[in-house]
Amino acid sequence: MADKKSSFWKRGNDTKLPGRAQPVANSPDLRPRSKTFEEYEKDTNDAWDDEAEDLSHLSSPVKPLEFNHTGSGEFDVKFSGKKAPLKSRIKEVVKPRSHTTGGMSTSGGGTGVQHSGSDSRRNAPQDTGRIRSMSPPSDPFDDIPDRETIKLQKFGKLLAGPNTDLEQLRKLSWSGIPSSVRATTWQLLCGYLPVNIDRREETLQRKRSEYLKLIDQYYHMRDDSIHKDTFRQIHIDVPRMNPSIPLFQQSIVQECFERILFIWSMRHPASGYVQGINDLVTPFFVVYLSYYISGDKNAETYDLSLLPNSTLNMIEADSFWCLQKLLEGIQDNYTLAQPGIQTKVMRLKDIMKRIDGSLHSHLERNSVDYLQFAFRWMNNLLMREFQLRSVIRIWDSYLSEADGFATLHVFVCAALLLKFSSEIQSKKDFQEIMIFLQNLPTSAWTDDDVQLLLAESFKLKYMFADAPGHLQN
Amino acid sequence: MARATDKKYDHLFQLLLCGDSSVGKTCLISRFADNEFRHTHINTIGIDFKLKLFTIRDKKIRMQIWDTAGQERYETLTAQYYRKAQGIILVYDITREETFRNVTKWLRNIEDHGVKGVKIILIGNKVDLESERKISTRHGQKLANQHNIKFFETSAWKDINVTEAFTELAEQILAKVESGGGRDRGSSSIRESAIKLHEQQPTPATKSHGGCCSGGSSN
Repeated sequence: MADKKSSFWKRGNDTKLPGRAQPVANSPDLRPRSKTFEEYEKDTNDAWDDEAEDLSHLSSPVKPLEFNHTGSGEFDVKFSGKKAPLKSRIKEVVKPRSHTTGGMSTSGGGTGVQHSGSDSRRNAPQDTGRIRSMSPPSDPFDDIPDRETIKLQKFGKLLAGPNTDLEQLRKLSWSGIPSSVRATTWQLLCGYLPVNIDRREETLQRKRSEYLKLIDQYYHMRDDSIHKDTFRQIHIDVPRMNPSIPLFQQSIVQECFERILFIWSMRHPASGYVQGINDLVTPFFVVYLSYYISGDKNAETYDLSLLPNSTLNMIEADSFWCLQKLLEGIQDNYTLAQPGIQTKVMRLKDIMKRIDGSLHSHLERNSVDYLQFAFRWMNNLLMREFQLRSVIRIWDSYLSEADGFATLHVFVCAALLLKFSSEIQSKKDFQEIMIFLQNLPTSAWTDDDVQLLLAESFKLKYMFADAPGHLQN
Repeated sequence: MARATDKKYDHLFQLLLCGDSSVGKTCLISRFADNEFRHTHINTIGIDFKLKLFTIRDKKIRMQIWDTAGQERYETLTAQYYRKAQGIILVYDITREETFRNVTKWLRNIEDHGVKGVKIILIGNKVDLESERKISTRHGQKLANQHNIKFFETSAWKDINVTEAFTELAEQILAKVESGGGRDRGSSSIRESAIKLHEQQPTPATKSHGGCCSGGSSN
């Protein structure tokens, strides 16, 4: 096993992985003091597949890429220089899903990928697909469909098994997962779906029926005197979450959330339900719902009465198990006195002191305590700071790392502060700074804004991970 | 530097709102600070901050208002804000009995973490839901009297008594500041009321859980 692991880290000829720091001892040149990110980036070009969409171009001014916003939150990327390697366009789209299929393991995997002709555009997933293969007719250099298609092909191959290579999947997922394969990929990355394709269907069925049993076992206890306060808190919070998203205003969805949260809470008495955990169910729920509805429908506005009960049950069960996996890594955020949050906020403070001393002093001078604004960032994983679709993209990267929700997340928070550093420093007193930090202007952020933030976070994590000494001076 | 002369206010007051989840703390602040009311809003996580400038008796007051989450788990975080607050607004919901019962628990928190002499007012919110009322005005007033604090019934939605309540608190703080009773000084109503509190409320729910090691498990 150890062999296998180390061969992963050193796959082929020294390939480096996104989001993974190399041991400093083996690569002394990579110390931040002696290298700029651009230099480091050149050294690690082999970490990124030439053909797949990568993050590296985002922070490099020399790559001839331009982002072209389409207004719908999706974006096209065009090359203004070198053309993409593929001369002809190979269109591959993922089969529309059927409500009647029980498992997502097969249809979401490679077997669901089909070749089609030029008409494929008509079938291409639109919003949930967000593959966005369409280009403006006037743009002859738009090569993003090729890049996306190739990426999707790679996912298809990996997901098709017979055994999905999890490390390859992580590597591919870090820079974003096409939404047509996101549900399956997330479940694999969570460790919810087995890597062996033949076991997936059976596992899903088992876990889903296990969840139904948990409902029978626990849910009636919501009225017991010792549990009713917990349930009341959940019941009060669930209708108050994401008021701007119609999906979550439907009572049928709210009931699903109440069950998920109450049962999780009963099974995790050390923390129990803490306000904010309700937010963490939403990305899973939306991603898994998107899997079952046709590509041109937006999950956020979907009318759930159109969905068969059996399908809804599957979405609920899958969301529950994945929430459980997610919270395993950050449960200390929610135990008494919330030590995980305290630690992470301290770490954020240390990082900022190191990477942006001027901002850090500005905050200190104005008596702004990191806990005052970053508590919520940690407690709700920035879900209040970003649109849900951006959160989902960020989670692609978190899920690609072993402890992304604990470690990478802190670097994303740091990158966020860096991003707004000059604006924060332009605020001249405590009040103005706090008001700004509580209402960061991210509502109009597009996918590439998020990508840039993640690229910056990756850079920071690379600088600091495995080199805690960097935090000490 | 220009900064010192930039000061556009006479006093800076720090206020804090506490009380059970969903009693309307955030809505009261939104009404007072922005004259806004939203029927759908998000639960407060940890602590939030709002600012309001207003004038009392020709004095320009800059109010920092801290909005706290109602859930007990956040107490470790919110405790430090009690220490900074010069005034505290304790809110319950007149349509939910348990939120009224918990007022004594919140008063105890203030006693434990607040500064000596902090000014407090009690608010029974949601009087627009008269038909669902569970706590009478008389009960609310009686509790406030017991603790020697001012009492208001408000509606953040219908904008009833909200400004009045905040103004009363600001007046009290201003009076104290002007009489030279700066922070951490002056006579305390909360200490006195807290003593009464212990006499009258001998079985707080929170205390029943912890502390005692009897019945410990063998592993």
